[in-house]
Amino acid sequence: MQEILRMEHITKRFGDMYANRDINFEVRRGEVHTLLGENGAGKSTLMNVLFGLYQPTEGSIYLNGNKVKIDSPAQAVKLGIGMVHQHFMLVEAMTVFENIILGDRNTKGVFIDRDARRKEILELSQQYGLDVEMDKPITEIAVGAQQRVEILKALYKGAELLVLDEPTAALTDIEVEGLFQIIKKLTAEGKSVIFISHKMREVLHISDRITILRAGESVCTLNREETTGEDLANLMIGRELVPSQYKKIEDAGDAVIKLTDVDYCKESKHNGLNGVSLSVGRGEIVGIAGVDGNGQSQLAQVVTGVITPDSGEVDMKGSRVAKFTPNGFIIEKVSHIPEDRNKMGLIGSMSVMDNIVLKTTELPEFSSGNGLYLKKKAIKEYAEQMQKKYDIRCASIEQETRNLSGGNQQKVILARELESDPDLLVAVHPTRGLDIGAARFVHDTMIAARDNGCGVLLISADFDEILEVSDRIIVMFEGEIMGEYSGKNPPINEISLAMAGK
Amino acid sequence: MEFVTNLILASVRMATPLIFLSLAELYSQRAGLVHIGLEGLAAIGSLTGFLVSHITGSPIVGVCAGAMAAILVNMIYAYATVTLCAEQIVYGMAINIFAPALASFIYRVYFGAGSELVQVPLMTNLSALLGINADSFIAKLFLEQTLMVYLAYGLVIFTAIYFSKTKSGLNYKAVGEYPRAAATLGINVIGVKYIASIICGALAGIGGAYLTTCYTTTYVDGNVAGRGFIALAAVIFGRWSAGGVLLACLFFGFCDALQIRLQVASFNVPYQFFQMIPYVATVVVLAIIGMKKAGPKSCGKPYRKEER
Repeated sequence: MQEILRMEHITKRFGDMYANRDINFEVRRGEVHTLLGENGAGKSTLMNVLFGLYQPTEGSIYLNGNKVKIDSPAQAVKLGIGMVHQHFMLVEAMTVFENIILGDRNTKGVFIDRDARRKEILELSQQYGLDVEMDKPITEIAVGAQQRVEILKALYKGAELLVLDEPTAALTDIEVEGLFQIIKKLTAEGKSVIFISHKMREVLHISDRITILRAGESVCTLNREETTGEDLANLMIGRELVPSQYKKIEDAGDAVIKLTDVDYCKESKHNGLNGVSLSVGRGEIVGIAGVDGNGQSQLAQVVTGVITPDSGEVDMKGSRVAKFTPNGFIIEKVSHIPEDRNKMGLIGSMSVMDNIVLKTTELPEFSSGNGLYLKKKAIKEYAEQMQKKYDIRCASIEQETRNLSGGNQQKVILARELESDPDLLVAVHPTRGLDIGAARFVHDTMIAARDNGCGVLLISADFDEILEVSDRIIVMFEGEIMGEYSGKNPPINEISLAMAGK
Repeated sequence: MEFVTNLILASVRMATPLIFLSLAELYSQRAGLVHIGLEGLAAIGSLTGFLVSHITGSPIVGVCAGAMAAILVNMIYAYATVTLCAEQIVYGMAINIFAPALASFIYRVYFGAGSELVQVPLMTNLSALLGINADSFIAKLFLEQTLMVYLAYGLVIFTAIYFSKTKSGLNYKAVGEYPRAAATLGINVIGVKYIASIICGALAGIGGAYLTTCYTTTYVDGNVAGRGFIALAAVIFGRWSAGGVLLACLFFGFCDALQIRLQVASFNVPYQFFQMIPYVATVVVLAIIGMKKAGPKSCGKPYRKEER
C-alpha cells in the first residue's frame, strides 16, 4: 500500500518537558492506523503537531512523499488533513449546517449559497452514511451526532487523512458501532484514518496497524494480526500487568459513617435517595454499583455534607450529625474525590502546588496565624514531595492544573485528599477517563488507605472497578438499595440483575 | 402634536451616536473582545473631529479624522488584549481613563486654558444639500437629517446582512464563539480580532465625532456623557444582533429626548431628576434583560495559540 504520511524524528517540548521525543510515525492510504498510549503519552501532542496547532521543536513531516511545513490548521486543511478533536470544535450557537460550511474557502462569492452547499453536504453524508439534521443547533443534537458533524466537516473540506482523537470516549456502545461502520466506509473509499485510543478492545477491532507511544516516545508499530491485548497493554505501560487481585477484607472495624433510612428528593428516580441505609466501617471498601444517575451523586453529597437529607439519620463515628456542611465533614476527616475533577475537584487556573494545599492552608506548617500568612517555601517543598510521592507528571509544580492530563489531575486530588489521613474517603468515579496505569495507581492508593484503617465509599459506574477493589458491594437503583453482597466471590449475575432493577 | 413629532425627531438624533457606539461594541464582542473603553474612544474621536473640522472647516473631514484617531488609540487596546492576552476589562478601563484625559490635554494645548468658547459649523442636513424645503413631519424625519444619520442606519442594515448572510460574517462570529474551533478551520483568529478592533475604533470615533460635528457646535470635556456605557447596555439589550441593537438605541435615544423635553416643560421639579431618565432606563433594562446570557461564548477570554 502507498504511503500517505510520514512523520520523522518529531520532538515537541513544552518548557523543560518533552511531550514528544524523536517520534517516527507513518500512515498508508486506506488504512486505520491506531496511536495507542496512556494519557499523557503524547498522542494528542503529536496529532496537534500534524494539524499545525503546535510547531514541532524538531523533526519533519512528509505528505505523499513531499516534505511539508504545516504552520497552521489552515495549511493542514489545505493539505487534506482533517481532525476530529477529543473536545469537539463545534460552535454551539450555530446550526449543524453553519458549522459544516464554516471557514469554507473552496467556493467563490461573498454570500452563502445555502441551497448549493446543502446539496453538496447531503451528497457527502449519503456517500459515507453520516446522517445529520442540518438545521438543528449543535446544542440540540446528541454527542454521537456531533461527532458525525465533525467528520462531515472534515470531509467537506476535502480531507484525505482523518485524525480521530479518542473518538469513542464520549459515545455509547451503539454509537461506537455506528462510528466503526463509518470508519470502514471511509477506508473503503481510500481515505486514511488515524485512530487515537487507549481502549484495547476497540483498538484490536478497528485497526490495521498500531503504533504504541509511551512517555512521549514511540515504542513500536505492529500489525493487528500479530498482537494481542495483553501484549499491547504491556507495551503501553512498559511493564507486566499482573491481573490484580487485591486481598478482600471481611471483618471491618467500627462504622465510620452510618446512614439510616435517608431520604432526599424521594420522588426523583434519578436524582434522589429513597430510604437508604448503609454503613462504612474502618478498613473496608464499600462499593456502590449501579448505572449512572440512580442517586449516586446525591449519596456522595450527603456523606460529604454538601446536601442535607430530607429525613433519616446519619451517624458519624458514633455520633449523630446535626448540621450538614462540607467544612464540618472535612473537620471530621472526610475526604472526597469528586465525580468531576475539573468542575469540583480542582481549581484549574491555580497551580499544582496551590491545589495540593487548598484544604490545609490553616495548618501551622503551611501558614502562620491560621492561614493569615502563607509560608510559600514550606508549601513548595511539601508540594515537591507530593509530586514525587504521587508521581504527578507536570512541567513544574507551578503549572496550572487545567493543563495537566486527566490522570495527573486525579493524582493531584489524591495527594490533597489522602495526605490528611482521612477516616472516610468518598471516591466517586475515581478512574473515569484514566488509562490503565493511572487507574491502577488510584486503586493501589485506595487499598493502601483502607489498610491504614480508613473507610472507603467507592461510587462507580464501572462494574469491573467495583468488583476489583470492593470488600462489600451495594447496588443502587432509582435511589434505592437493591441488595448487598460480599466482595469475595460476588454473585456477578445476581448483581447485574440488581443493577437493572430486577 | 408638535410635542410628539419633535420628540420623535429628537429621538432619532439622539439615537445616532448611540448606534455608532453600539455597533462598535457589537463588532468588538462578536470577535470575543468585550470593550468597556468606548467612552474613551468616543472622547478622543469627539475632540479630533472638533479640532479637524475647526481647522479645515469641513465637518466630514473632521469625522474621518475622529475615526482615525480612535483607531490609533484602540490599537493600544488590541495589542494588549489580543497579542499580549491581557485582561480586556483592565485595558478597557485604561482607555477610559487615558483617552478623555488626552483629549482634554490636546484641547488645552491647542486653544489655551480659559479662552473663549470655540465653535464650529455643524454638518448640513440632506434637505439643505438637495435644496428641498422640508415642512411636513415625514419629510423632516427622512430628509432633514445629516449624512451621518443615514450612514448609521446604512451600517445597521449592512451589519445585519453581514452577520447572517455572508461567509465572512459567519467566520467572524465563530471567532467570538469558539476561537479554537475557528482556528482549526483555518480562520485567522488573531487577524479577525485586529480587524474587529479597527472597525470598533473607527465606529466609536465616528460616534464621538458626531457629537461635535452634528449635535453641538463645541467641544467640552465629558461630552460623551456615559454614552459609551449605554452602548454597552444597548448591545446586551439588543441581544447582540444589529436589528436588536438599533431598537435598543432608539429606546435609549427616546429616553434622552424625553428627558430634555421634560426638563423644559416642567416647573418645580429639579432638572437633574429628568437627567436621570436615560441612566435609570439603562439600569432597569439591564436588570430585566441582562441576566440571560446570550452573548458570544468566549467573550472576554484571551485566545492563546499553543495552550494545552
